[in-house]
Amino acid sequence: MNLLEPTRRAFELLLEGDPRLLEAIWLSFWTSVVAIALIAPPSVALGFLLAKRRFPGQRPVVVLVQALLSFPTVVIGLLIYLLLSRRGPLGELELLFTPSAIIFGYMMIAFPILVVFTISAVQGADPRVYETARCLGAGRARASFTTLWEVRFGIGAAVVNGFGRVVSEVGCAIMVGGNIEGLTRNIPTAIALETSKGDFSQGIALGMVLMVVALGVNVALAALQGKGGLR
Amino acid sequence: MSALLQLVGVRKGFGDRVLFDVERLSIEEGRSYVLTGPNGAGKTTLLRMLAGLEPAQAGHFLFRDSRADFLPRYPEALRRTIVYVHQHPYLFHTSLRHNMEYGLKCRGIPAQERRRRAEEAIAWAGLGARRATPPASLSGGEKQRAALARVRALSPELILLDEPTSNLDKEARARTLALLAQLRDEQRTVIVACHDQEVISLPGVARLHMEDGRMEQEA
Repeated sequence: MNLLEPTRRAFELLLEGDPRLLEAIWLSFWTSVVAIALIAPPSVALGFLLAKRRFPGQRPVVVLVQALLSFPTVVIGLLIYLLLSRRGPLGELELLFTPSAIIFGYMMIAFPILVVFTISAVQGADPRVYETARCLGAGRARASFTTLWEVRFGIGAAVVNGFGRVVSEVGCAIMVGGNIEGLTRNIPTAIALETSKGDFSQGIALGMVLMVVALGVNVALAALQGKGGLR
Repeated sequence: MSALLQLVGVRKGFGDRVLFDVERLSIEEGRSYVLTGPNGAGKTTLLRMLAGLEPAQAGHFLFRDSRADFLPRYPEALRRTIVYVHQHPYLFHTSLRHNMEYGLKCRGIPAQERRRRAEEAIAWAGLGARRATPPASLSGGEKQRAALARVRALSPELILLDEPTSNLDKEARARTLALLAQLRDEQRTVIVACHDQEVISLPGVARLHMEDGRMEQEA
C-alpha cells in the first residue's frame, strides 16, 4: 500500500481546515477537558484518602479501583449504554448518543487512572510534608492540601495520563456516542470509521493530531517538572 | 521562672520494651535545654510526642498548668504553641518566603504583616542572598537555618529541635550554633535533642539526660 499519497492528502486536509476534521477534533478536546475537569477533584480526593487514611474496607476499595484500570473501555461503554438507554434507569434523561454520554463515559474511564496515580503520588510524598505542616499549625485539611501541592507534578501526571487516555478512547465513545457526524464523532471514532471506509488520509490526519496532543501535554509536564526544582 | 511544661507519669515503649518512663519533669519558661542520651534512648520520640506526632502509652502533661493529653487526644490549639523541627527539616517546594509565611498564614496573620515577618526571618537566618533559590536547592546548613527562622517567626511558646547540628559541615554548624545561642539569649523556651558537645556545653543551657528508660535533669 502506498502511504505517501494519503499522508500528503492528510496534510492538505489539516492545512485547509477541513470542517469535518475540525468538528471531530473540537469534540474530542472539549469532551475530554470537561470530563477530566469534572472527575479530577473527587478522584484526587479519594486517592488522597486511600493513601493517607486507614479505615475498614480500605484494601478492597484500592483493589477494586486498580481492577477498574484494566476494565475494557467497551465494557464500560456497554454499562453506560444500559444505564442511559431508553429502558435503562437513567433513560429519561435522554443522554444516549449525545456528547454528555461521551463525557460520562470518559469520566468513568479516567476515574481509576486519576485515583491510582494520586495514591501513588501521595504515598511517594515525604512523610515530613504532612508532619511539618501540622507542626507549623496547619489543620488537617490545610496539611492535606499542602501535601497534595507538594506532589502537584504527580497529580499533574495523573491528569495528563487521564486526558491522554480519554482523548484517544474509541470503544466507549462509539457505544454511547454513536459516532454521529457533527454531534458525537470525535477523533478516534472518526479514525476508525474513515479507515474502515478506506479513506486513509482522514485517519492519518486525525492520527497526527492525536500524536501531537500526546507529545504536547507530556512536553508541557516535563517543562513544569523542571521548573519545580524537585529532588 | 515558672514551669511552662510538666510531664506527669509519661511512659512510652514498643511491645514489651519500655523506652522511657518519666515520673515527673518540669520545663521552665524562657529557658533552653539540651536533651542528651545514647541513640535509641527516646529523645526524638519524646519530642515528637510533645509535638502531637506520636502517642504515649501512659501519662499526660501540663502546659501552663492546664492538663493536656498526648495523641490521639492531643489538643489542636497546642500545635500553634509547641513547634517541632525535624532532624532533617523539610522545606516546602515553593519559595523561601512562602515557607516563612506558611505558619503565619495558619495563624491568620494579615498578608502585609506576614511579608514583613517573613523578610525578617530570612534576614535572621542570613539567607537574604538565597531568597530566590528554590528551597530544595539549599544546602543542609541553609535548610536548617531556614527551618529555625521559620519557627522563630511564629514566636511559639516551646520550640523542639531534633539534632539541629547533625550532618552539617564546620561552618554550617557554627552558624546554626550561633542561632541557637540567639534563641537562648532571647529567652525562648527551647528543647534541643542532640549529641553535639558544642551545643551541650553552650553556657546557660540546662541539660536533660535520658538513659535506660529514665530521665534526669542536670543543672
